[in-house]
Amino acid sequence: MASMKVSLARALLRLFAVQGSYNYERLLGVGVGVAEEPLLRDLADGKYRPAVARGAHFFNAHPYLIGLAVGAAARAEHDGASPDQVERLREALCGPLGSVGDRLVWAGWLPFLSALTLAAVALGGGWIAVVSFLIVYNIGHVALRWWALKAGWTHGARVSVALHHPVLLKATATLGPAMALAVGFALPITAQYLAAPFGSWTRLALALAAVVAFLMLRVFGDRLNGLRFALGLSALALIAGWIWP
Amino acid sequence: MNLPVEVLIALLVWGTLVGVDLVSLPQMMIARPIVAGAVAGAILGDIPTGLRLGVVFELMQYDILPVGAVRYPEYGPATVAAVATAHSSAGVLGLGLGALVGLVTGLAGGLTINVLRRVNSRVVHNAAAALESGNPRALLRVHAGGLLRDAARAALVTAFGLLLAWLARPLLAGALTVRGALLLAVATVAAAIAAGSAGTLRLVGKGPNLVWFAAGLGGGLLVVAGVAWLR
Repeated sequence: MASMKVSLARALLRLFAVQGSYNYERLLGVGVGVAEEPLLRDLADGKYRPAVARGAHFFNAHPYLIGLAVGAAARAEHDGASPDQVERLREALCGPLGSVGDRLVWAGWLPFLSALTLAAVALGGGWIAVVSFLIVYNIGHVALRWWALKAGWTHGARVSVALHHPVLLKATATLGPAMALAVGFALPITAQYLAAPFGSWTRLALALAAVVAFLMLRVFGDRLNGLRFALGLSALALIAGWIWP
Repeated sequence: MNLPVEVLIALLVWGTLVGVDLVSLPQMMIARPIVAGAVAGAILGDIPTGLRLGVVFELMQYDILPVGAVRYPEYGPATVAAVATAHSSAGVLGLGLGALVGLVTGLAGGLTINVLRRVNSRVVHNAAAALESGNPRALLRVHAGGLLRDAARAALVTAFGLLLAWLARPLLAGALTVRGALLLAVATVAAAIAAGSAGTLRLVGKGPNLVWFAAGLGGGLLVVAGVAWLR
């Protein structure tokens, strides 16, 4: 039991680097194999290497929830599941883990806290707001990674049960509206903060430019991303400044 | 930009850590521009500039949803370079020049991520036989190689950004008129506000969350009005 706790701890540490060898051939597969390997060391000689090889096959999901797949696949190997069953389990987990993780973290927890931090900085919170963001975000981050790995190891091939955990469902349902409320709240406060160094006439020009830029990004959003647009607008500003000294 | 060597080294190390955090290790969000900028500001002894550029690029970051294998710019090391640029030029000139250097660095960073993934693909392809044999050492070697390449990539992007920061002042600041500097600052800040707004609206979607977004927007506008009234 103690050795399994050590193996789980090793797997968790390796999960923090699960995207370290991200590539277009196996996506996160190699990282998943590396994270799963400590959990496979107890397998019999003839089973260990084939299981390690399977662990490194193609895989893609949200990095914070990959522990579910790592734990579940390792448990299935221990429970004597056939290679086909393990492969099918991994394939079945790719989509749901990606979808749930994206909604929960990339479109929920992260923008929610980022927006609160932007608002806090704009209202004078300074570096304390930034440090608070890092602490609060990572409490959720580490807890999610640890829960995912433990749930995967506990449920094995029946890991889909974990994806219906009430806390996970509630968090996903709550974070969407919370994120929307927070980013809506932060936008005008942040815009005012960024406009502060400008004089009153320049602020008016800034507001007009921001509205026109926003409309252009909304209309041409499928062909134009924020970076390209910002670079184009900067180039125009440089030319205008040179022509109109 | 004339900075002591130890400050440049600290910025390079910080930019590298920030670049590695984005994807590889440990994704604790020091790669978020608001964090990268604040710490870069602290290294330079100029936290307000770090926070302001951090806010600009945090808004740009809202334009990106890193789902699947999507390609995106890299704003962490870009923010470090932007803060280094802005620190050496006062006021709105620093804001505009810093944002411009950051945007170019962000573009370069995004390109290098794509190149790195292609190189990793080739390495994984070449090691396929060893990986299929289940050799744990080969697996670790391939993975550690990817991590080291990402660290080298992040260091290179940060160094490129700091080089741009060093060149920005003699090449651009001297040539820019006051009006030109103002126009550049307006353009970059307006683009950031627009990208942040468009990105958040995409994130919020057209469903019930839009009502929550509108409620938040109303609350934010009230705060803005309240702050203006108090002043």
